[in-house]
Amino acid sequence: MSLRNVLIFSALASTAALAQQPLSIPLVKADLSKPDAAAAVWGSAPAALNVMLMGQPMITPRPETTSTAEVKVQAVHDGTRVAFLLTWKDPEVSEAGPLGKFSDAVAIQFPVKESDVPPPVMMGAKDLPVHIFHWRAQYQRDAERGKPTPKDLYPNLNVDMYPMEFKDMGALPAKGDAERDPYSPGRATGNPQAYAKSGVDEIIAEGFSTSSVQEGHGSLAKGTWANGEWRVVIVRPLKSEGGNVLAPGGKTFLGFAVWQGGQGEVGSRKCVTMMWTPAELGK
Amino acid sequence: MTVKNWQIKRDMAYPYEEHRPRKQWAIVFDLNKCIACQTCTLACKTTWTSARGQEYMFWNNVETKPYGGYPLAWDLRVLERLGRQDWAKNGTYGGKTIFESAPANERALHWAPSDEDWMYPNVGEDDCAGGSVGAGGAAFTTMPHDKWFFYLPRTCAHCTYPACLAACPRKAIYKREQDGIVLIDQSRCKGYGECVRACPYKKSMYNPYTRVSEKCVGCYPAVEQGIQPQCVVNCIGKIRIMGFISPPWAARDDNPVDYLVHKKGLALPYYPQLGLEPNIYYIPPMHADRAYLAQMFGPQAEGAIARYRELAKDPVAQGLMVLMGSTDRIIHSFKVEKGEATGFNEAGAELTRVPVTEPVVERAAWDEGASATRHNTP
Repeated sequence: MSLRNVLIFSALASTAALAQQPLSIPLVKADLSKPDAAAAVWGSAPAALNVMLMGQPMITPRPETTSTAEVKVQAVHDGTRVAFLLTWKDPEVSEAGPLGKFSDAVAIQFPVKESDVPPPVMMGAKDLPVHIFHWRAQYQRDAERGKPTPKDLYPNLNVDMYPMEFKDMGALPAKGDAERDPYSPGRATGNPQAYAKSGVDEIIAEGFSTSSVQEGHGSLAKGTWANGEWRVVIVRPLKSEGGNVLAPGGKTFLGFAVWQGGQGEVGSRKCVTMMWTPAELGK
Repeated sequence: MTVKNWQIKRDMAYPYEEHRPRKQWAIVFDLNKCIACQTCTLACKTTWTSARGQEYMFWNNVETKPYGGYPLAWDLRVLERLGRQDWAKNGTYGGKTIFESAPANERALHWAPSDEDWMYPNVGEDDCAGGSVGAGGAAFTTMPHDKWFFYLPRTCAHCTYPACLAACPRKAIYKREQDGIVLIDQSRCKGYGECVRACPYKKSMYNPYTRVSEKCVGCYPAVEQGIQPQCVVNCIGKIRIMGFISPPWAARDDNPVDYLVHKKGLALPYYPQLGLEPNIYYIPPMHADRAYLAQMFGPQAEGAIARYRELAKDPVAQGLMVLMGSTDRIIHSFKVEKGEATGFNEAGAELTRVPVTEPVVERAAWDEGASATRHNTP
């Protein structure tokens, strides 16, 4: 980290420390099984907490500017699930697809181990893992309209044939994905990227470069964009095996990150919280 | 970190420590012989990139210099960003590499190609440079001969200091200890495209179907069995040889790649000034513009051509040149004696033996035995 960034970091961390309030997550009687940004519960929930973000300053590649300076956060729980409503300004919808097009996205991060001292806010550290719920507009598109084929992305694309997929199969028995996938190494190696997604990824990380997508533990997400603003609801069970565990009446810490695909943000090019937001669950 | 880069004859900055693999995959190409038949391109394509999302992907390509490029103007665009840089008189690179000139927020100086840039694999094919129609370019009447072009076959260079590996924030790219082949971990890549952006040779490519980046794998399954890559063994012009290169301080005279690169100085890395220590080496084309070749291959280009012209006086080098394309196996060592060149595998067993000069046989036009006229066909 350069001296300039150290200075920015310290300045921001100290102001954020002054400004940062805990997020209250009340117990509510509402159906949280379906993520819905328009649900009535958000009208009666405590007012949104404004959480400051800044362009990720720690590791390269970094964004040049802070494209998203603030994310508004509301949260409620029903004793078994917790739901977060995350709102931020973004002038356009970006769903990725072709080369060089990236997706709008948001992530909430929790410490895995219960402790009064949370792990480093920048994705944890060795033996101090964090549990991340990562929503991408691109993955929501998968769920709503199907994972795009090359023909969807490039309508004028022309190709003679694909392996195991000929116009005239002749005497060959019909082939399925199992026979075709060896030709697509991303799929053959089981990379979750290469398959249709539901909208939200669960990730465990122990520091930068270590994030690893886990099998789903029942989290759901749904985003809607209108009037230059994304409203995304992420719902997760309070308890998750191997991940962060919440309980009514308990406390935890939250970290946030936002990506504006239209600004070329992806991976480490993102805006992040520089410190944890404490949160308290009602009972 | 500071690492040693022998191609620019100096230490340089790189995000990771210097760590040379036990062996380093390398290909030498004789550009004087390439006819751009694209057999290598198709050999690669049919082997590796025939599936969805790879429709426009050529891990091996052949482009026509100076105008062709896949993606478009990949070379000009990185050179333009680098700006004018100079080599010192003693052959040391005095300019900055792409790592040393990286902006504060980035790991390398780079540019992001767009989809359109990949859609014309060989624009400018066979267009001559030099001279001018009327006042300007590529005239067919200007003398003396100043029209030139050449074909440049390219694979991933499995660099000693890969920019793709340096740029990946997920550390999903690794360089293999056993052969120096650089691979993108297909199970860890998340398709951020940082490698596509960072590789100045533009040999990382994005697959929009698997949403993961891919690149030339050096035909590692073949290499593990002692077999040369598909693009090499399918080269009908026999312009290529794949082997393992040593750094100059450990070069062996009986290693074909070491001999061509280090001992004879015939084959040169391309754009060494970018600082990646790429491991594909080219014998420069004799008839192309020398200033252009100096830009592409560095200050050694002139000397390499002069030595190539003297090849007939060196039976060992001549023998080695005929070993190119004479076996699909990887030649670890070779010898030339009594008019024969022999290639050996790692264990020292003979792989192939070829005459340095094909014997000339004169026969009568009329074949008495067959009562037929002989034709001059093999």
